[in-house]
Formats: sequence, C-alpha cells, structure tokens
Amino acid sequence: MLPKQTPDRLPSHPTQEIDRSVSVTFNFNGRTVHAYSGDTLASALYSSGVRIYTRSFKYHRPRGLLCSAGRCPNCMMTVNGIPNVRTCSVLVEEGMVVKQQNAWPSTEHDLFSILDRMDRFLPVGFYYKIFHRPKQLWNIVGPIVRRMAGLGYVQTRVVEENNYSHETRHVDVLVVGGGASGMSAALSASRRGKQVMLVDDQQLLGGRLRFDGNLYDGIPGVTSDVGYEIADNLSKLVTRNRNIEVMLGTTAFGLYEGNLIGLIQGRSKVKLRSGKVILATGIYEQPSIFDRNDLPGVMLSTAIQRLIHLKGIIPGRSAVVSTCDDQGYRSALDMLKAGIRIVAIIDSRERFPNELLAARELQENGVLVLMSHMLIRAEGTKHVVGAAASRLSDGHATTEEREFDCDLIAMSGGFQPADSLLRQAGCELSYNKSIDRMVASPMPDKLYAVGRVIGNDNLGKSIVHARSVGSGVAEVKSADNALSTPANFMHESQDLTEIKNCTAPSPIDLSQGAKQFVCFCEDVTARDIVRGIDEGFEDIETLKRYTTSTMGPCQGKMCHKHFANIRAKSLDNVDSAVYTTARPPVTPIPLGALAAQVHTPIKRTPLDRKHRELGAKMIELGPWYRPHTYTSSSNECLSVRNTVGIIDVSTLGKLEVVGQDAKTLLDKVYTGNFSTLKKGQIRYGILCSEDGTILDDGTVTRISEDRYFVTTTTGNIDVIEEWFKWWTVGTGLCAHITNVTSSYASINVAGPMARDTLRKLTKIDLSSDSFRYMWSRRGMVAGVQTLFLRIGFVGETGWELHFPAEYAEHMWESIMDAGKEYQITPFGVEAQRILRLEKKHLIVNQDTDAVSTPLSGDMAWAVKFDKDDFIGRSSLISARDSGYSEKLIGFNMKGSEVPEDGSPIVSENLPVGRVTSSRRSPITGQGFGLVWVPADMAEEGKVVHVRVGGENLPAELTFIPAYDPDGIKLRE
Amino acid sequence: MAFLLNCPNCGERNVGEFRFGGELKVRPEPNSSRDAWTDYIYFHRNVAGDQSEWWYHSFGCRKWMVALRNTVTNEVKDVLFPEDVS
Ligand code: FES
Repeated sequence: MLPKQTPDRLPSHPTQEIDRSVSVTFNFNGRTVHAYSGDTLASALYSSGVRIYTRSFKYHRPRGLLCSAGRCPNCMMTVNGIPNVRTCSVLVEEGMVVKQQNAWPSTEHDLFSILDRMDRFLPVGFYYKIFHRPKQLWNIVGPIVRRMAGLGYVQTRVVEENNYSHETRHVDVLVVGGGASGMSAALSASRRGKQVMLVDDQQLLGGRLRFDGNLYDGIPGVTSDVGYEIADNLSKLVTRNRNIEVMLGTTAFGLYEGNLIGLIQGRSKVKLRSGKVILATGIYEQPSIFDRNDLPGVMLSTAIQRLIHLKGIIPGRSAVVSTCDDQGYRSALDMLKAGIRIVAIIDSRERFPNELLAARELQENGVLVLMSHMLIRAEGTKHVVGAAASRLSDGHATTEEREFDCDLIAMSGGFQPADSLLRQAGCELSYNKSIDRMVASPMPDKLYAVGRVIGNDNLGKSIVHARSVGSGVAEVKSADNALSTPANFMHESQDLTEIKNCTAPSPIDLSQGAKQFVCFCEDVTARDIVRGIDEGFEDIETLKRYTTSTMGPCQGKMCHKHFANIRAKSLDNVDSAVYTTARPPVTPIPLGALAAQVHTPIKRTPLDRKHRELGAKMIELGPWYRPHTYTSSSNECLSVRNTVGIIDVSTLGKLEVVGQDAKTLLDKVYTGNFSTLKKGQIRYGILCSEDGTILDDGTVTRISEDRYFVTTTTGNIDVIEEWFKWWTVGTGLCAHITNVTSSYASINVAGPMARDTLRKLTKIDLSSDSFRYMWSRRGMVAGVQTLFLRIGFVGETGWELHFPAEYAEHMWESIMDAGKEYQITPFGVEAQRILRLEKKHLIVNQDTDAVSTPLSGDMAWAVKFDKDDFIGRSSLISARDSGYSEKLIGFNMKGSEVPEDGSPIVSENLPVGRVTSSRRSPITGQGFGLVWVPADMAEEGKVVHVRVGGENLPAELTFIPAYDPDGIKLRE
Repeated sequence: MAFLLNCPNCGERNVGEFRFGGELKVRPEPNSSRDAWTDYIYFHRNVAGDQSEWWYHSFGCRKWMVALRNTVTNEVKDVLFPEDVS
C-alpha cells in the first residue's frame, strides 16, 4: 500500500544533512524525481513515495529500505549503467539515471513473485536436488533459474569512463571508521606528528552520533554534551588537521599481511600500506526474526533514526517497535518527536528499563510498552499494515496474542560488531553475554581496535580510550611493541559491567510462520537453516555453503549473528556460537576495480628517434619498442647480404663481470670454457639451469685478466643478472656483476661492405689478418671510445659496436654517412630474424622451451663435459647417456607454402613435432626454418609433413644452414 | 602474499619487490651420485614452519639475501646478506 501523498519533510534541524536551497533532479525508471542536495538516492525516492526498492533474489518478494546505511541488499539499483549500487549510500547528482532491477515487468508488479507461493517446491539447496534427471534438463532450466534469480546485469560493453584507477599509498596510521572513537584516535595520533588517514564508508564523519541527540555528561576534553554536537566538533577538528587525510564514501575491504589495506572509493582503488591500523568500525544493528520481517515498512530502528535526523523524512504515521535492548526506546522517542504515533513497544526483556531516560519519557507520554513480549508477525502484502505480538514464556511465543494497526515497524534485534577486518586479521572472538555480542581479542601486532567494535559502548570511556590508543600508537617505536600490546590498551578502559542487562538475545520462535527471514540477500529463512542442520550440515562452514546464508552481497552484515544463534540453538549449544571465517572483501568489489589499470613502462633505445625519423614500423618486444621493418624485410635482408646493413641492438642485455674470480664464475655458469679465453677473445656461450635446460645464450668477451663483457638475450637480462649474482654469493666467489645494458648503446654493422664503411671512422686496422673473427678491440670510432666485437651476428663480415649511450645518435649518423656510397640500409628485427634463421641460429625461448637442452638443441659442441663442474653438468651427462626424445633441426619446404610458427609436424595424422621458427627465404623464395621432431626422425634429407591450413605439406629436414654453411663469409 | 621483508640494504619493503629464490640447499659435489643430484634438483623439503630461504631484491638494490621465515604464518624472523649468516 503506497502512501498517496509525498510525505513532508520535518522542519530544519542541526542534524539534517540536506540543503533545501539547492534542488536536484534525476531520472528514475524514466520519470523525473526531485530531491534536495544532500539527499541520497534512496532518501529522495522515499520522499517521492517509493516503498518497494527491489525484488528479492529468489522469491521476488518486495523489499524496501532496511538499514539505510549501505549494509543490506535491499536498496540496490542500476545507477548510470552500473548494477547493484546501494542507493542509500549514493548522494544525488543532477541528471543521474536510476533503474530498478531483478523484476519483470516492474518492481511494483513483478510477475516472478509467483515464486514466493512456490517456496514449498524451492527449499534450501533445491538446485542440488531437482532437475538432475534427465541430465539435459539442467541445461534448459539452469539459464532460466539464473535469469530469475539474481541481481542486475553487468554491462559487457567497455566504456572508457567506467575505468577504475589504481593507486598505492603509504601512511603512518590508518583509522578505519569516522565515528567519535575513530576521530579521537586519529586526532591524538596526528598531534604526535604522524601522517594519519581516516576512512569511513559514509558520506560524512560522525558515525552514529550524527543522529544522536542524547546528552553525554562529563566527557573530558569535549566542548559539548549533545551527541551530534560532539560529532560535529570532532569532525571540524579532524577536517582542519593537516596531518589527517579524510577519505569518505570509502570502504576498507580487506586487511592483508603487513597492514596492507584495500580501499575502494567510487572508481578508485587504493592499496594502502600503513604502519599501524586502528579499527573503529563500530557495530551493525540486526533485524528481529518474525514472520514477514522483510516487508517494506519494516526497518532497522537506526535506519528510521537516520531518515528522521539526517534527511528530515517522516518514514510513517504509526509505528510498532520490536526490541531486545535500549536502542528500541531511543528510536521510539525520536519517532515520537517527529510526530509518529508509537502504537506499541514490544520488548522481549522482562524488566522495564527504568533507568533509561528515553524509556521514562515514552512512558510519560502514555506509550504502550509490552515487556516479555515478542513480535511474531507483520501484516501486509506489499507494505506493512499491521503487526502481531505474543507474550513470551520460556523464550517461546504463547497463544496470548495482540494485534496492532501500523504502517511502520522498527526493529532492533541487537547488534553485531563490524569486525570483518579484525577477523580477517585472525583475531579470536569470544562471546560476551552482558552485551550479547562477540568481542575480539587479542590483536595481532600493529593492529588496534577502539570503540563499540570491541564492546566499548560507553561514549566517554570510548573517547578517552581511543585517545590513549592514538597517542600510544604514535609513540611506540617498532622495537618495543611489547610495551604497547593492544591488549593492554584494551583492558585499561574496557568495563562491560555497567551495561549489563541492557540487552538480551533477540527471541526466535520457529513455529511462527514460514517467512522469517534471516538472510535477506539470499532469501534464507530461519526454517531453511534448521532444515539444513537436519540434513546433516551441522558444521557452520558447510551450513553456510549449503544455505548460502551470509554469502550474499551484505556478506553477513545483516544475518551472521542470527544465523550463528539459530545454529547454536538447534544444536543446543548456545555458548559455542561460532562464526564463519572472514575473508576479504568486506563488501562486494567491482571486478573492474580489482583489474584497475596497471602501468607498464615502455623502454625505448637511445636511437628511438632515429628509427621513427626513418619511418620504421615499431613493435613491442617485451618491454622494448623496436623497429620491425623500415621498408620491407626481404629488401633489408638482401642489402645485408649484398652490401651493408646497420641495426640497433642496444636492447641486448649487457653485463660486466669483474674480479679475481670472474673467470671461475663464468666457467661455472656457462657450459663452455671461459677461463681459457685470451685477452680480447670472444666466445659464444650457453647457460643452463641445473636440470640441463637452456636458460640463455650470448657472447662472452675477455677484456682483461679479471674483466669480462657478457651479452645476453634481450628479454633475459634481469634473470641472468640475478642468476650470476646468485652463483657469486652462493659460492662465495669474488666477482662483481654490473648490469650495463642501458649504459651502452649497441649497433651492429654487417655485410660485405661493413669493413669499408667502418674503416672511414676509425684507425683500428679492420683487416682480417689483424682483426680476426671472434676477437675484440677497444678504440675510437667517430671520436667515441668504443668496444668493437667482430662476431657473425647475421652470418656476414660484421662488427658489433658498444659505446656510451649518449653518443648513440652521433654514432648512427656517422656510420650512415660513411656507408652512404654502399647504400647502407638499416634493418629491423624481422630481417634480423630471417638472416639469423638462414644461419640456423636458434632464439632462446622462441625455438627452445622448458625442456630443451643444448644436446637436443643440436649444440653439443658448446658443452664441455671435460670441465670438472658447471651448472647443469650432471643432468646433461644423464641426457647424453640415456638419450633424449626430441631434436631441433632445420627444414626446407618443398612447395611454396610457408607454415606459421607453431605449425605441427604430423605423422600418420598425429602430431609428432612442431615448427618453432618459419619464414620465407628471400633467396630461394621458399619456406624454411627450425622444427622439433622425434630424435629418431632427425635425419639429414628426411621428408616430414607440416600441417598447413588443413593440408599435410612435405618438408625436407637438414642440419645444414641455408646460408654459407661453412662460415666463410663471416671470416672474410 | 603481502608481507614485508626487511632488506638489510633498503629497509622494510613490500614482498612484491622481491623474487623468491627457494629454500636454502647444499649443492652436491660435482661427481656425486645421480640420486644425490636428483634430490638436489627436483626435491624440496617444503617445510611447514621456519625456513631459511633465498630472496632477491629485484625492484630495489638487486642483491641476494637470506630470510628466516615461517612458511605457515609468513612471519619473517630475520633477513641477512649471505656473508652475514653465521
Ligand atoms: S537500505 Fe541501502 S543498503 Fe540497506
């Protein structure tokens, strides 16, 4: 039943957070809704007459505001295309587009609500039990069930502005919870010079005091005695304090090792590392359990207080209050003052709380209070129209019933600590009977808790305690943690005796109707839980998974307490009310936030500008940007073979290995011999892991007795640096490893005219007699001190030049000028790949994988078994003696097709090998490359079949390089 | 894993800055039996409790260090350069 008229707002009051001078409009299901600035979407909708906010997950029952604090599942809508937004936590903004979800045709009239009448056929875990036979049935039913059950729809279209940002932050102290305790702790920590961050999931600081008009006498150091004024004063101090950074609307969703905290605020995720963490997360009010306790119009008593105080909304005309502690009276008094008629207060306790001011005031106003009674039922179909209560006897409802008319039910079923983060941190919980709540203790290192989350319900004491924790945290050096164990902090001021008997466990009577909801998210009733236990799911963790209670969007905030209590009760084990394990996240986190963009820096060589000037097509190779081609790869290849080519190889990994044990280290890590290198000599080397597989390859140049220059493959430099260092420290050798990759630019000049080109730039004698293949020199080239390596990089006469990176462009230009008359041609990585493939040079990690060894890779010549020891020797000896299954060999296609890298080799229609590198030869025009085949197939001239586009095409295997097999060219 | 490692060179840092290098092991003499080598290469003690292990500060000083860590609780009891391990 919808109220026809928009209820008026209450007159202005200091607790109100709306600004009546600014009006805002937004779109709701296609119509325009007017709101005040400071309204939440939910409060604006309530004010405009909306009562049914959502339809429930399973039965499609109508649901309305429950907590009004962002903790339950009842107000979720799709806002600006984002599903499952809690509208009671989002402030209205002009032009927002809000839609209801999980209902058809509308939330007001949802045809799926027929499911509510079929609940008998949909018991807890029904999907485990039915639709199993015939097997195909689930394939049909599954998608339908999924469509009917559930929440909003995820947008699958990628929208740029929906991206999340990602930040990493560090602070000294993080305080979670911006209530009086949290603010007090933050203030005292900041006054000792600490950088403090204070986060709260609400849009304003103050916590529950924002809507608390009670008087608090004699709190030291506080300038007012009215609840909301205390909050206001504290929040002014906090906001003005430059050492405190306040993040509102922010949820701390996870507490991980080393005080790493995940924060989410709108579209940004923050990974925060905090020296100390103080949790001041407070408590959540719990629903009462009675039949149809989910009807719109049934709200938590604090939700009603929020609406009245913060938004000036009068949520109903006549209310029944169900309570088990003092909170119900406080809320009732607020309602009374707002002009709501209090029909009755149903209190499950025996004794009237005479000492409570609010209770006495209500009594004086003639409000009917029924002690030892429980609410058993709400009346109504789409909204509350009445309620029924019954006298309690021995914890059970009797037949002595009374019925009331009302349009609002306020329920206070006790409180549950907001302790998810404490439990994530591994704090133990123990049940405290006097406050009917779990209390966490002791705290792990560098984690502290203040306020009501640890049962500190007295405001004055809580503030004093929070101050001492705040300053204690700031003073304690990490060395003497022992002095400040949080347990000490806690016990100082924790005195629970004075609030004894304020609260009693909220009564639950299973016989009173089938719609006593415990878990609002997943539509789990009290009976469902008992049924689960009867079916054998006694353990709380399996019961949780079977019933899915506590597993919905609220993550147990509205149901954990009653869920655990019902279980304990039906197992006759009240004192051992155990809770389930808490894991992050505390609230649902959009996957987008977790996947938020990570920035990977791109590396550019010192010649990057030159390549772009030359119009090179750049590609990403690992972290690097490198020229793929400048003109065409076949053109570039032919130039290298016929005249001279130039390539930027600055990305090569470069290490300097220096020290008296440098030679010993290299002999140990490489399969070859390097202590025997003469000064100036170069040798190709292979690095293996201890299991004999290839780790990397490259050249090693001996610069002097105790100094070597090592190159590694581009992507492997970090791994190899680490590898060398590990063997150095692990064996206690005296050697220094320096990564000089970015210190030196590197250029390779190769081709028949390379000598003539370089000769113009240096006095070094480049003739074959004086500067032989696999030897090096140091000297000036174009006025720059250069290390000259004569190696056969692409199978031609050629030199690799390493020189200080800042001269890169000068060197490149000088060589280009010198080579002009020979049509010197820059070549990219594609041409390099083809040229090297023609020489049958393998590429580590392209042509090798995690099981390739130098033996199976056809490079046994590089392994010196006669050395006493090297990394991988024992494994390679085994491989040599017992053989290996596959071998790397070259192939030439017989036809004109060029297989792709990775094409399978087939024999009798089964894959037996694979192509790892394949290109079209610029010389023959045919496909060629490298292939792994079974060892017994690896024969010179053998014909195998490569699968290309569904056809098996013949290819001839060969050990012989396609170009200059005897290596004459590169020695010329 | 989100714990902190106290690098003897750089101070307390996020474990994400480091690379794990496995448990501390003694490499067999070159001519040891194949069994000894197989043990060394393929088998780990995989202790549930205190373990001495290698860490490399790849996004920091790029030095190797040895940590004593409880593999169950991730409590790091000590981090030393190998030359300082007694
Ligand atoms: S009413 Fe909005 S989350 Fe509970």
